[in-house]
Amino acid sequence: MESGLNIIYNVYHTPPLEFPIAVYFYLTGLSAGSFLLSTLAYGFGIEKFKPLGLLGVSLAVILLILAPINLIIDLEQPMRFWHLFPYLNMKSPITYGTFLLSLYPLNAIIYGYFMYKKNYRLTKIFGFIGIPLAISVHGYTGFILALSKARALWNTALMPFLFLVSAMVSGIAMMMIAVAIKQRYFSEDKHIHDNIIFDLGKILNMTIFLDLFLILSDILVLQTADTEAHHAAMLILTSDFSPMFLGVEIIIGSFIPLMLFNIPMFKKRIGFQIAAAILVMIGILAMRYVMVIGGQSIPLS
Amino acid sequence: MANIRWGIVIDLRRCVGCHTCSVACKSEFLVPLSVYRQWVKVIEKGQYPNVSRSFLPSMCNCCENPICVHNCPTQATFKREDGIVLQDPHRCIGCKYCIASCPYDVRYADPMKRIVQKCTWCHHRIDTGLEPACVNACPSFAMTFGDLNDPESRISKVLASNAVQVLKPEKDTRPHVYYIGADEVAMRAIGGANRKEKPVWWLWVMGNFVKKEHKG
Repeated sequence: MESGLNIIYNVYHTPPLEFPIAVYFYLTGLSAGSFLLSTLAYGFGIEKFKPLGLLGVSLAVILLILAPINLIIDLEQPMRFWHLFPYLNMKSPITYGTFLLSLYPLNAIIYGYFMYKKNYRLTKIFGFIGIPLAISVHGYTGFILALSKARALWNTALMPFLFLVSAMVSGIAMMMIAVAIKQRYFSEDKHIHDNIIFDLGKILNMTIFLDLFLILSDILVLQTADTEAHHAAMLILTSDFSPMFLGVEIIIGSFIPLMLFNIPMFKKRIGFQIAAAILVMIGILAMRYVMVIGGQSIPLS
Repeated sequence: MANIRWGIVIDLRRCVGCHTCSVACKSEFLVPLSVYRQWVKVIEKGQYPNVSRSFLPSMCNCCENPICVHNCPTQATFKREDGIVLQDPHRCIGCKYCIASCPYDVRYADPMKRIVQKCTWCHHRIDTGLEPACVNACPSFAMTFGDLNDPESRISKVLASNAVQVLKPEKDTRPHVYYIGADEVAMRAIGGANRKEKPVWWLWVMGNFVKKEHKG
């Protein structure tokens, strides 16, 4: 309390966006990440990633059907969700989402269908149509936060990139786990062919570094921008949300996986690779939680 | 009705902190428990014997450039020609994005109607020639309501002859609730927030490089 200042009475309304929104961001991120990985083989023709194709697109479709359910549950009037189409406001970032969340799963289903039918020419075409859709279906969620400029933690131009990179991080981690489960339990020889998991691990390693760099630049600028931004940075660094941010997102979700990927003792073992992938997925869920819930916990009035 | 731009000036030199405006608002709209369209922030500062209380009546600022209208996906919230920002109760889907966007925390999700509601500056009273309920109820005449575009109106004269402030001008919302003599700390959202300082468990490891002094 500086110089005896006291707030005797004030009204703080309940934070509007709750945990389902954080889960929604997490699921779209996983979906976009796994879709982009599936196009590595069928769009860009990298043969060694072929096993990711059908698995990636199936996960992308399932997750993107689950994700908007969180949004509709979170509405105060779920039965009015159709208002988003006839009464749309082109300036609102939610409107971009209305169209992207309709087009992206449709395209992914067509892309998956042609992949299943082994029509590689059409698979490639729909894969390339899907890449910008997948990027924007997750990038727009960054804009949702960045454009509600009341909240200091969200109102930064880095937000879409932060969301895209963390989507790639969590998507790659999920694919490592999914490939391992598929090969261990649902393949003919019940054996994990570890080449693909190590290859994914190398990509994941690089994207975690990129993610950490973006988080660092975000925090450094928040520290020095203005009073509210400084308060937001302190909130996640030293106050209520620091165990979630520093403990889970940074240490458990990034530093320990980086150690598992880079220390020679661990990096040859498939078990440690899968463990690192699980930790990364937990860390990104914590990142969504800190962003959505933490961003709203700074008083505005 | 053409070319009217409503505004409110609150003279805090006259405000006695009686909360009558909030009570009038609650009874005008039957606002449910736990949410408020209009309230008076009260702060206390200084050490005995040099102490003072400051008040800050808060309501919708009916911004010239409202972020809530910009961000509403269904055009449920809109700005009238006379500048009042309203919420269409039949169109609102309750996505609460406007609440997240509003820098003044004046919107709320109505727990009874299950839509977003806000201060309407009592547009139903204004349209019949009355003043908003809070302005009407103020016993010390601290609040002035009127047409900013009419140079002969009382509010224009008050604005022209006093130094006024608005809340959070840096957000470029151009609010139309003006304050005379508002306390700087009361206007700031984070200033002396009533949260306790928690012990910082990792700062001693990292050194003090993030511990900046402008907590105020």
